[in-house]
Amino acid sequence: MAMSTKQGICITVNGVRHEREVEPRLTLADFLRHELALGGTHVGCEHGICGVCTVLIDGRSARSCLALAVQADGCQVTTVEGLRDRTTGHLHPIQQAFVEAHGLQCGFCTPGFMMTTLELLAENAEPSDEAIKEALGGNLCRCTGYESIIASVRLAAQRLREQKRT
Amino acid sequence: MAIKIPALPEQLPTAQPRFVGREVQRVEDPGLVSGTAEFIDNLALPGMLHCAILRSPHPHARVVGVDTRAAEALPGVLAVLTGEDVRRWSNPAYTAPEGWGAYCIAVDKVRFVGEPVAAVAAVNRYVAEDALELIRVDYDVLKPVPTPAVAMAPDAPVLFEERGSNVIQSRVYNWGDVDRVFAEADHVVQNTFRWNRVGANPTETFGCICQWDISDDSLTCHGAYQTPRFWAMARALALNLPTNKVRVIPHPMGGGFGGKGGPRGTDIAALLSRKSGGRPVKYIEDRMEYLLAGFGQSWDRYYDAALAVKADGTVTGLKVKLIDDQGAGTEGWGTISVAKPLAAFTGAYRIEAAQYDTVLVATNRAPTGPYRGYGPPPHFLVLESLMDMAARRLGMDPAELRRRNYIRPDQFPYTIPSGNEYDSGNYEAVLDKVLAMSDYRGLRESQARWRADGRLIGIGVVSTVEPGVFDWNAYATVGVQGIGVPEGAKVAFDMLGNLTVVVGFNLQGQGQFTVAAQVAADYWGLDLGAVKVASAPTDIGPPSFGQGGSRLGVAITGAVLGASEKLKAIFCQVVAHLMQTTPDQVELMDGRLRLKANPQVGMSLAEVAGTMLGRSDLLPPGMEPCPEATFVWTAEGRTMPDDQGRCRSYLTAANATHVVMVEVDRDTGRTDILKYFIVDDCGTRLNLANVEGQLQGALAQGVGAALYEEYVYNDEAQPLVTTFVDYLMPTIHEVPMATKDFVVTPSPVAPLGAKGCGEGAIHTTPAAVLCAINDALAPLGVEITETPASPHRVWKTLRRARAG
Repeated sequence: MAMSTKQGICITVNGVRHEREVEPRLTLADFLRHELALGGTHVGCEHGICGVCTVLIDGRSARSCLALAVQADGCQVTTVEGLRDRTTGHLHPIQQAFVEAHGLQCGFCTPGFMMTTLELLAENAEPSDEAIKEALGGNLCRCTGYESIIASVRLAAQRLREQKRT
Repeated sequence: MAIKIPALPEQLPTAQPRFVGREVQRVEDPGLVSGTAEFIDNLALPGMLHCAILRSPHPHARVVGVDTRAAEALPGVLAVLTGEDVRRWSNPAYTAPEGWGAYCIAVDKVRFVGEPVAAVAAVNRYVAEDALELIRVDYDVLKPVPTPAVAMAPDAPVLFEERGSNVIQSRVYNWGDVDRVFAEADHVVQNTFRWNRVGANPTETFGCICQWDISDDSLTCHGAYQTPRFWAMARALALNLPTNKVRVIPHPMGGGFGGKGGPRGTDIAALLSRKSGGRPVKYIEDRMEYLLAGFGQSWDRYYDAALAVKADGTVTGLKVKLIDDQGAGTEGWGTISVAKPLAAFTGAYRIEAAQYDTVLVATNRAPTGPYRGYGPPPHFLVLESLMDMAARRLGMDPAELRRRNYIRPDQFPYTIPSGNEYDSGNYEAVLDKVLAMSDYRGLRESQARWRADGRLIGIGVVSTVEPGVFDWNAYATVGVQGIGVPEGAKVAFDMLGNLTVVVGFNLQGQGQFTVAAQVAADYWGLDLGAVKVASAPTDIGPPSFGQGGSRLGVAITGAVLGASEKLKAIFCQVVAHLMQTTPDQVELMDGRLRLKANPQVGMSLAEVAGTMLGRSDLLPPGMEPCPEATFVWTAEGRTMPDDQGRCRSYLTAANATHVVMVEVDRDTGRTDILKYFIVDDCGTRLNLANVEGQLQGALAQGVGAALYEEYVYNDEAQPLVTTFVDYLMPTIHEVPMATKDFVVTPSPVAPLGAKGCGEGAIHTTPAAVLCAINDALAPLGVEITETPASPHRVWKTLRRARAG
């Protein structure tokens, strides 16, 4: 239980390299939120069920509450802050779709849903409702009843396909 | 001067409302999807410490000793708080009825698993939790009281010894000639029901940052506060501070649904701040703490109920006996959930007499608190299940039995036996629409066909009333005082004519900033995005209650419209003076103050506001240069309860009928929802997307309560549910995507005709699903009257059928 020795890590978050000395027990979620002040990754249960804290680690969705920061050493991490276009300031098509199709109410679980959606749409540009449900089955939302989230993902997929064509 | 608030959208000063009544994109969403919304754990203050709380592992025990020396010696620990501190500095929670509250940290004894026994403030949460492991608590374990039956036994250990009994309140209400209608009934349909504990579980737990100003003993609390002013007042009472020395700054919340908790966490963080010399102290409840002790548990009930029914299907009487397990005291205001059903006791029906026999009992389970609906959802499960049982007894179609008993459109305003007045409705129109939409006859034909194949198919048709826009008088029977729930808003134009609407609450998910912006934008002829909605702390904002009781959409609409009407009158004076006419010759239309006789001549809002703030020489003599107005709205016509609790309480009565088709698996007891249809009527829909979102979200929570969610305790009052692995929240796979439509019967008494609709489908869904399951089981001659109707419970019921 004694204070643990710190360990050096280097994590690239949304394209920016961060080198830090951290305690091995520091979760990735706390690292992102409190060391890097990237507060968009929320924490809902801290035991890996709710999916609120989902981020992408090297392109794969992961629970940042169950991952330790030291485990992400050398990795590329993408969070909700990485979605918006940094030069134009425009919302990412997924964010825009969640706004337009009312895919959120309180918005606390939304970053997790959007990160899972980002992973899904990278692999499947035109997912069926069943594929959407399969992908989002590990994210809990207490507000919406999910219907508008499915609509948002469908709309996002359509927007991204259109974007690709033009 | 009486302020006249537009009764319908058509009365707004615009040729055509552009936002009210439409699907608009919410003003709060860009921040929420960007991850920039300031949820409480995103805020850090200079010098901030972090709190962790040590909680009791015992349901009932005396605290013999707490040794904090080792924790205090740990580097990074700034303060440790114990029962001795809180006894010196604070008071037990104020409750209704009085005298059933505890200190924020256990003093002398603990009464539930998870009750705080000590707390630490340290440089970070990790160190604070390390310190908890160094605190030694000696307990003298007492016999637990796990259930109301044990609690009411003559030799039961008493939780609150100074009360002398575990019975918090025992009260019987009689409305009308109940004995006569039951004596004259052709059928009495009776049954028992068990509704097991469920709860709110917003995805964000409670959190706060409290700072005690040691220079003047005042307190500032930033946090996830659903009803900021209410909590500010309660904190002042708990912490021995004048009410004007507690300032609550509400932050956006990751949901609430009533069950956000927070009083103990706030008081602990506040006293840790005091003890650490005024450092800000952050407390973020974790999920296990929430599930153990977060005021997110509700409705732990044992019912015995009966309907009096005539041979033709006329329902004449309803008797409900309720034993309600409140848990370890009433600090979470769980008592209100027993009182609230008075506002809609007889549901959608003309039932002439009713009796409500209530016993509220303290046990060593966690204290119960509010959860969306706050009491009626289990009550309607009982009433609607009895309606279905009556229909089966009579051989009537359940939809037709309901139709026969509905309050008719020409009977509104309608006073129910328990005293509340329903404002309006057309229940038969709602029923007809949902029956047509679902092809009800077709569903019944499919059911008959599939039943012939041996499948267990059931259909539920359930109608309920949602009391909307609560008033405190609805809860008078459990000791809550007062009439009127003021909700204020300020509308303020700056010198360049830009509008800010100031409210006293913050975001929680229902889109009320958008509602305020829609109403203001249509009133003043502005674009939605041009209206800034700002949340004010409790010490400077207008009187406010905030979210709760299906009221804020209606209440904030009334407040914004009232303030706008006041300000318009001032603007008319300015324009009249400048144009050398009288104010009654000036009108507001589509964002211009213009002459009624010559509409081409007028002034823009920027011109009027700019004149007021920048050209005092042009103003009428003596006029205050203030282009702002505040209005505080509350429902009119609310009345003092009589000795049977009868009063006009909730202002509006929305209603809905759900049709659901389920299939029960014979081998596993698992229920699948095959089809779901909803038609509702909440009057004017201020924002179509908001209303639909509330409906679908409440449907999901209703499905959870009906089939999955349960706070399980063992027979020693030990909670067995401490994670989301145990508490089964519906995922995207479990929630049916309902087909929805609506009927609009505007409220004649609420601003713009809108009825409270925020709690919505949770009133109806648990009953609809359970009725459908029992319809599926009916051919087997068995029924289930316990929720959640989990696969295990249904499987056991099916075994009973095979054995029988």
